[in-house]
Amino acid sequence: MPTIPMGPFHPALEEPYKIDVVCEGEQVTDASIRVGFNFRAIEWLAERKNYTQDIALFERVCGICSNVHTLTLSRAIEQLADIEVPERAQYIRVIVAEAERLHSHLLWAGIACELIGFETLFMACWALREQVMDVLEGISGNRVNYAMNCPGGVNRDILDPGAVLAAVRAISDATAKQLIPVLTTDPTVRARCAGVGILTRAHAIAYGAVGPTARASGLPQDIRRSAPYETYGKLEFDVPTSDGCDVFARVVVRALEILESCKIIEQAIEMMPAGPFQGDTFPRVPEGETCARIEGPRGEVFYYVASDGSDIPVRVRVRTPTFANMPTARLMVIGQGLSDVGLIQASIDPCYSCTDR
Amino acid sequence: MDAEAIIQTLDSQVRCEHRTDGYWATMPDLDVRAMANLMLANDVRLVTLTAMPATSGGYRLMYHWDADGDLINIATTVATSVATIADILPAADWVEREIRDYYALEFEGRAETPTLMLRDGDEPGLFSRTCELGRDTDPAQTAHDAAATEAEEV
Repeated sequence: MPTIPMGPFHPALEEPYKIDVVCEGEQVTDASIRVGFNFRAIEWLAERKNYTQDIALFERVCGICSNVHTLTLSRAIEQLADIEVPERAQYIRVIVAEAERLHSHLLWAGIACELIGFETLFMACWALREQVMDVLEGISGNRVNYAMNCPGGVNRDILDPGAVLAAVRAISDATAKQLIPVLTTDPTVRARCAGVGILTRAHAIAYGAVGPTARASGLPQDIRRSAPYETYGKLEFDVPTSDGCDVFARVVVRALEILESCKIIEQAIEMMPAGPFQGDTFPRVPEGETCARIEGPRGEVFYYVASDGSDIPVRVRVRTPTFANMPTARLMVIGQGLSDVGLIQASIDPCYSCTDR
Repeated sequence: MDAEAIIQTLDSQVRCEHRTDGYWATMPDLDVRAMANLMLANDVRLVTLTAMPATSGGYRLMYHWDADGDLINIATTVATSVATIADILPAADWVEREIRDYYALEFEGRAETPTLMLRDGDEPGLFSRTCELGRDTDPAQTAHDAAATEAEEV
């Protein structure tokens, strides 16, 4: 049977990776996935740089969810050094993390619409995303690597919370009134996504799927809920799930998560107390080991950090969400049409820069 | 079955430390396949594996699991190989391949262990090999040397 190589550079792929698709006619019978094209040995580099340098290094693991990596690493360092983060800083971390989730989900929704063939909605999603980027730029001064997190707090305060609140309310309103109705009821979207790219609940568990990919297969896992960090335990939000197990379920779950993120930011802005937003000095990290996890836009981000008491970590291990989710793409494409492969792989919201590190 | 019960089922004598960052246990004689079967039966998710050189030689290998939000970290020490769990839990497939890339640790029982991050034909053990050069080695220089050597070989 013919094998069709897609990638590592291909119009249907956002980043370099390779999927070899075995077909019988137009139907996919098997697939194999090849990654590593963005391998930068960041874990190896981390063992040769001090903690301050590592914060900057790990911000570059990913160009979309850079904030989650510095947040997870900062939390790991804080756990090792037994540092308490000021409450205002915790709220700021939540606000930036949710704004990053908004921009990531809206970016993904746009790409998905483009792959579905819905150009108008693609433009609408990215117009909304642009408003989120303005919020992130307004807070941090940056549009990609925000450089917000540091062990002990954040590097910048939110100086104009009213502007953040107004922007988030506008995004929430547009998502609820325009985006979600179209995504959930439009016959084109449904025809392209419903029943396509199935990942069963059992497979999601066995493959260790995380984030919206797992939640769209009926698994209600979310680190913000199951192991709350920062101030998530004080905030009210739902964890949308679906038993659909298909691309459509992943679309719906992410769309609903946009609303939940807006809800979280609104509460965080209103509840954020006055006070300091960072500690006085960079902490001395004692000997020890720890794990830190947070819920990134694509799912659980995991860091293991070991210290020998020096200013350079002995080991930093990173498990990104796409690393866990991507192997499930093989299951999703088997039995599907060749033309659906691009959309199915995109439904995971893959990030190969993260995966390869 | 909760996190503590799972650890006690694996080894009733083991000291289990419950910290804010999860449950920690070290099991020198860990039966990794029995552990994987137990976790699968209890819907416990494999988060990842962490390998690092052990001070006493060999490698410290940690299996990180999520049991309804509780993080379980089970460590063991291995010399050069350990049984695979990828046939029980496909979640381990890429991780085992990656660890072989970095430390040349072999996972016994796999039909094949293709490279994940390295290229086809690359020698496994990138991290353990370059660790021997010391922490002060300039990574960029090392990469340039490797590229230069490769160019010479071509």
